[in-house]
Amino acid sequence: MTEPSGIRYHDLRHVTGQATLIDIDNGVVESAGTSFFNRAILRVLGPRGWGILQIDNYTPRSTKNFHSLLASAYRLAAITQQDVNLSEAPSRTLDVPPMKENPRDVSIEEKTSLLADIEKAAKFPKVVNRRANYIEQFEQITFSDSEGHEFSYEICRSGFNVLAVASRNGTVQMGYERVHSIRGFDLRHHQECGEKAAKVAVALLDAGHAKGGKMRVVLDPELAGVFAHEAVGHASEGDLVQEGNSVLTGKIGIRIGNDTLTIVDDPSIPEFGFEPFDAEGVAVQRTEIIRNGVVNAFLHSRETLAAVGNGVAGHARAMNAEAPLVRMSNTFIENGDATFEEIMGTCNKGVLLIGSRGGQVDPGRGIFQFNAEYGYLIENGECSKMVRDVSLSGEILSTLHGILLCGNDRKMHPGYCGKGGQSVPVSDGAPHVLLDNALVGGSGVD
Amino acid sequence: MHWWVVVVWIDQVLKEGIRRVDEVEIFYADGVEVSADLKRTNVNIATRSDECGLGIRTIDKGRIGSSSTHNPKMWRECLDAAIASGKLATPQEWNGLPKELSREHEKICYDSNLTVDPQTASDLLGGMLDGASQYSAEITSGTATLSTATEMIVNSNDMRCTKQHTGVSISLEAIKGQSTGSEFAQSCFFDVDPYFVGERAAFLAFHSADGKEIETGEYDVLLSPIAYAELLGATFIPALNGRNVHAGRSYLANHLGELIVDKKLVMYDDPFKEKGLGSTHWDAEGMPTCRIDFVKEGVLSSFAYDLRTAYRYGMESTASAIRSGPNGGTAIGHHNFIVDGPRTDVTDERVIYINSVVGAHTANPMSGDFSVELSNAFWMENGEFQTPIHSAMFAGNVFTMLKNICGVSKDVRQVGSLILPSIKLQKQHLIGK
Repeated sequence: MTEPSGIRYHDLRHVTGQATLIDIDNGVVESAGTSFFNRAILRVLGPRGWGILQIDNYTPRSTKNFHSLLASAYRLAAITQQDVNLSEAPSRTLDVPPMKENPRDVSIEEKTSLLADIEKAAKFPKVVNRRANYIEQFEQITFSDSEGHEFSYEICRSGFNVLAVASRNGTVQMGYERVHSIRGFDLRHHQECGEKAAKVAVALLDAGHAKGGKMRVVLDPELAGVFAHEAVGHASEGDLVQEGNSVLTGKIGIRIGNDTLTIVDDPSIPEFGFEPFDAEGVAVQRTEIIRNGVVNAFLHSRETLAAVGNGVAGHARAMNAEAPLVRMSNTFIENGDATFEEIMGTCNKGVLLIGSRGGQVDPGRGIFQFNAEYGYLIENGECSKMVRDVSLSGEILSTLHGILLCGNDRKMHPGYCGKGGQSVPVSDGAPHVLLDNALVGGSGVD
Repeated sequence: MHWWVVVVWIDQVLKEGIRRVDEVEIFYADGVEVSADLKRTNVNIATRSDECGLGIRTIDKGRIGSSSTHNPKMWRECLDAAIASGKLATPQEWNGLPKELSREHEKICYDSNLTVDPQTASDLLGGMLDGASQYSAEITSGTATLSTATEMIVNSNDMRCTKQHTGVSISLEAIKGQSTGSEFAQSCFFDVDPYFVGERAAFLAFHSADGKEIETGEYDVLLSPIAYAELLGATFIPALNGRNVHAGRSYLANHLGELIVDKKLVMYDDPFKEKGLGSTHWDAEGMPTCRIDFVKEGVLSSFAYDLRTAYRYGMESTASAIRSGPNGGTAIGHHNFIVDGPRTDVTDERVIYINSVVGAHTANPMSGDFSVELSNAFWMENGEFQTPIHSAMFAGNVFTMLKNICGVSKDVRQVGSLILPSIKLQKQHLIGK
């Protein structure tokens, strides 16, 4: 069979690998094992839109059989109506950063023992549950397209989470720590994470609720990173802009924050959201979404760049062999020049918010919400009483004006981001940030 | 892959496995899913997904191991990995997998009239667009998905169950200025109403435009089944999980026999619910399912157990094992979780209607505390949507909130595996801007 005529473009992304999971719950090794995956996605651009085949247990085909797959995908594309065009984009692959210690060189027995040490470290009075998970995923990715590009790489993402639950007289609270990396095995000498999770859980038993309302808040680097991700990152995704489902549509060149604010997404840096090339084989590079307070660029795939403009392609990502979506990778607020002491002093009265339980945004409406793990009231520039269950909500086009100071202590934190049913590894980061006039959702009263 | 081919290698896995461990369980699934996606009002992607997966669980002297693969030809490696993982697991009390149950081709969630093809998906999208045209709102995106799959659970105790199921899901998102709206429907049968879904999405976007602010204070609210499901799913449902209960991760652990919600309410799992998305005669371990009364007349009466947790803590399995897919292990869940009570008119007095919330997953799963942003909230009187609310936060505690339910709506809807009414709550804390 020859290649069907009428195909404007096609690409194939084949993902194989194995995942090792260890789960220790209150000293009991619940599971410690390995599973295997093998999926491929074939995208064909027909006369108008995409026809896509996703195949579990894919084996590379002979030319004849591959042409048969192309024909199947092409037939799917027949129902599409939208004229999809692809922008030109550079193709290049980066080296995957080397691992300090390859998890393959460590036996699963040793991994289990090291994880157990972290879990045991959370054993404190009033802690009623300790749970630790180790996750290690090796992925081999092969990409080829009809423009002659062929790339492949292997990457390993590994890390652990530890949870401690404290209980007293019917009050139940939790502390949670996590370490994940693309830089190799990192499970040794982390008992402090277990201890910290336990101490936070126990301390939260005595924490109060914040009083809801508008106030000044100081966001720690982890939470400020989630703030950048939710408040700006999603709304800058080119597919949402193309659909008319982002308040940033048509806002290139418009000021939405003060001069000190620059927000970046960069899949090329060696953080948890690193990609050597994107899910369309396009070279990855830094995009300044907000530059000095002004909307500067959107994140794009080849399709959305052609449709929307303003930005670069290279931001298409996919979970395993799912369809590529425009996604963030490593998203951060650039450092300013304020010290933490200056930020606390300028805040004077408010709440310091620490850690993240995640967030969510409605990009079309321009409203976002995110939640801190805990916080402290700030009085006269000093931390006082501990508070729990504090959320913030805000509006994308107005809240960023409230960033008064950015610190000089940016840190990145790994996590996972969900969109369109796909979860991909990301990192978010920021320095400490002072935010004025933030809407805090707490159930406390005077 | 044809079934007679599958049976041959499944018998080989059982024969090889039982030579090395006490018991072996095999889960195999394969299926096809077709979807079509809208970008604004035009279809821009059509997708077909061919899915298959094999999961193997082994038990040897109380040590449970598991592994999975997309490639059934790799069953030997998968079996080796399952046995190896069992060697590291802490041994526990174990009284055996279910025995000698044979159910061939259950079709409780199967519709032979459901056609898994791209044109049907495209037609569903067209139906939603027709409905959406009733209101002046722009369509941003939409999806229609059709699927069919066959699953098999086999174990070394001569248990063999197979079932076929079908599915259809549709959703549409709309926007009017900076006001968004969305709606969805999901069924095992080809009975979803695309026109209604489209009309509702456009209505929510259209009618939420030009919202007004509210003052911080206490308000009577009506939570739609969607908003109710979002909050229950993040906090209350995990607290009914027997493993969480015995491990110390459930707020409800010490409340068995106590009044935990309004005494007129019942909460139960009905695995035989007609047209329920999770309806099944056996759970993911092959245990025969039954109704579970979690809450009777407001009193907490039961938790959910799978075999592993039941054996460990000296309880009976409630046949609550679920599996997210062939490549996921088993976990404790429910089949069709239902909340019911005396149905009343909950819209006779002025309330704030909350269609959904933003950020429910950030609720504290241990304590039940939440603070979320409202989405598509309106003043409602005599059942009519009145002034939309631009933005406000809703803060409280799910476990406390459930004690203060003062009304249950006459209508219910399915939200995933939950079947819920709207609930009316008095004096809830809303934070305005």
